[in-house]
Amino acid sequence: MKQTKNNTRTVKRFSKWVIYAHWMNAFAFFALYLTALPLYSDFFNWLYPLLGGPEMARLLHRFFAVMFILPPVLVLIFDRASLFHWVKSSFTWKKEDLKFFIAFPKEFFGGKANISKQGFFNAGEKLNSVLTIVCAGLLVLSGIVMWFPQYFTSGIILWAYPVHNIAFGLSVAVVAGHIFLSLGHPNSKASMRGMIKGDVNITYAKDHHGQWYDELVEKGEIKEDKSEGA
Amino acid sequence: MSYAKLVDVTKCTACRACMVACKNWNDLPSDSQAYGGTYQSHTKCDGKTWNVLQMKEYETSSGGFEWLFRHQACMHCEEAACEKVCPESAISTTSLGNVVIDQEKCVGCSYCTQNCPFDVVELAEYVTEDGETVERAQKCTMCDGRIQAGLQPACADICGMDAIVFGKKEEMKKLAEARLNEVKDRYPNAQIYDPAGVDGTHTFYLLAEDPAVYDLPENPKVPVSAVVWKDYAQPMGKALLGVTTMAVMTGYITNKLFNKEGHAEEGGQTDETDKE
Repeated sequence: MKQTKNNTRTVKRFSKWVIYAHWMNAFAFFALYLTALPLYSDFFNWLYPLLGGPEMARLLHRFFAVMFILPPVLVLIFDRASLFHWVKSSFTWKKEDLKFFIAFPKEFFGGKANISKQGFFNAGEKLNSVLTIVCAGLLVLSGIVMWFPQYFTSGIILWAYPVHNIAFGLSVAVVAGHIFLSLGHPNSKASMRGMIKGDVNITYAKDHHGQWYDELVEKGEIKEDKSEGA
Repeated sequence: MSYAKLVDVTKCTACRACMVACKNWNDLPSDSQAYGGTYQSHTKCDGKTWNVLQMKEYETSSGGFEWLFRHQACMHCEEAACEKVCPESAISTTSLGNVVIDQEKCVGCSYCTQNCPFDVVELAEYVTEDGETVERAQKCTMCDGRIQAGLQPACADICGMDAIVFGKKEEMKKLAEARLNEVKDRYPNAQIYDPAGVDGTHTFYLLAEDPAVYDLPENPKVPVSAVVWKDYAQPMGKALLGVTTMAVMTGYITNKLFNKEGHAEEGGQTDETDKE
């Protein structure tokens, strides 16, 4: 690896509370996934002995469910602005955002797509966020019904199961894509630093979040990046 | 060959021998319940009491009084909702048509108890051979061990009035039709209850009154939510995960092949920034 001079220039992206929340949520997601997998398909029955039996698996699932619900609450308390900014951006969609998805497949499979300048959250991240928020909401609501059936009518209880199932299936698919883009894809894995150290390379910001980058330059928060971005 | 248990409620005298025989044969614990104001011993079937003799004090449309009795147990639906929703494949239909729960496979998730259209299957706490206390789904098995060996279910065997008879479903249907003709005069609302919504049941009734009088659903079905869940959501979820995984793997490979440079930088370490 060739470490060079100018490229350590970074700009702050995520607050520490956002980072804690993200990883707590991610950990809980996988713990929930594992503790419920044998109930999703009996192909995974061999997990029961590892989890300490079905009763323990269900208990753990409830424990991690609480851990899954906590992160947005923590961010709401400690870094409200970030939470509101994220939710607001995620649900603000413009026509140009659709263009992103037309150009994106080429980029995804390794080409150089001409993607229009994106904001703090690019359209792909917004889609990921919207699906994550919707799925998490459905999972939490249906999960509460399944946890406390005594407070709900049988019709609601019966529908909680397919809802939990659908939201789960969708969120796993979303997570697979999300992880690939942050760990596996050479163009976007620079973003990972944002979720670990809280800052990202300026060249990355310029390439993937052009609008945000322009705003930062305009505000004088960063100096213009001279590198040849794509 | 499909077998069935015909319960002819018009013959029943409410002696409750079926309840005793069931507890006895299946080695079920006694479960005393508080007096509920009627002669009925238990409110409904549950994991410890697999059949309950229902007793209704019924006023007929002409102002007369009838004691309505019904031997209440698992219906053994042809299209069994419990079997459909069981995530462990613990519930199955045998070649004779009765629906049984494999206690080794059951994990006590209670999906079946929530989806049973007749509210029959329930969890019951019991101690396993390893001395572990567990909660598992329990219900009438139609005395699977007995009927597989060519015997009658314990309740049918003991019934002194032949109100519970067991045999080939076709023959039982004929018997029910014949009995229906015989009792029509005394019970004008008499009818055969073999609900089509679950494709018929392997415990079916000759009822003296409308099903609602016996707290039976008029048109029981596998819940729509269970169909959505198991026939659509689950396979589609798996397909979706498969598609995403394929896309990600393809993306990984194509990037390895065609995107050797990479045009963004992890910590600014790629060739492209180096070029400046």
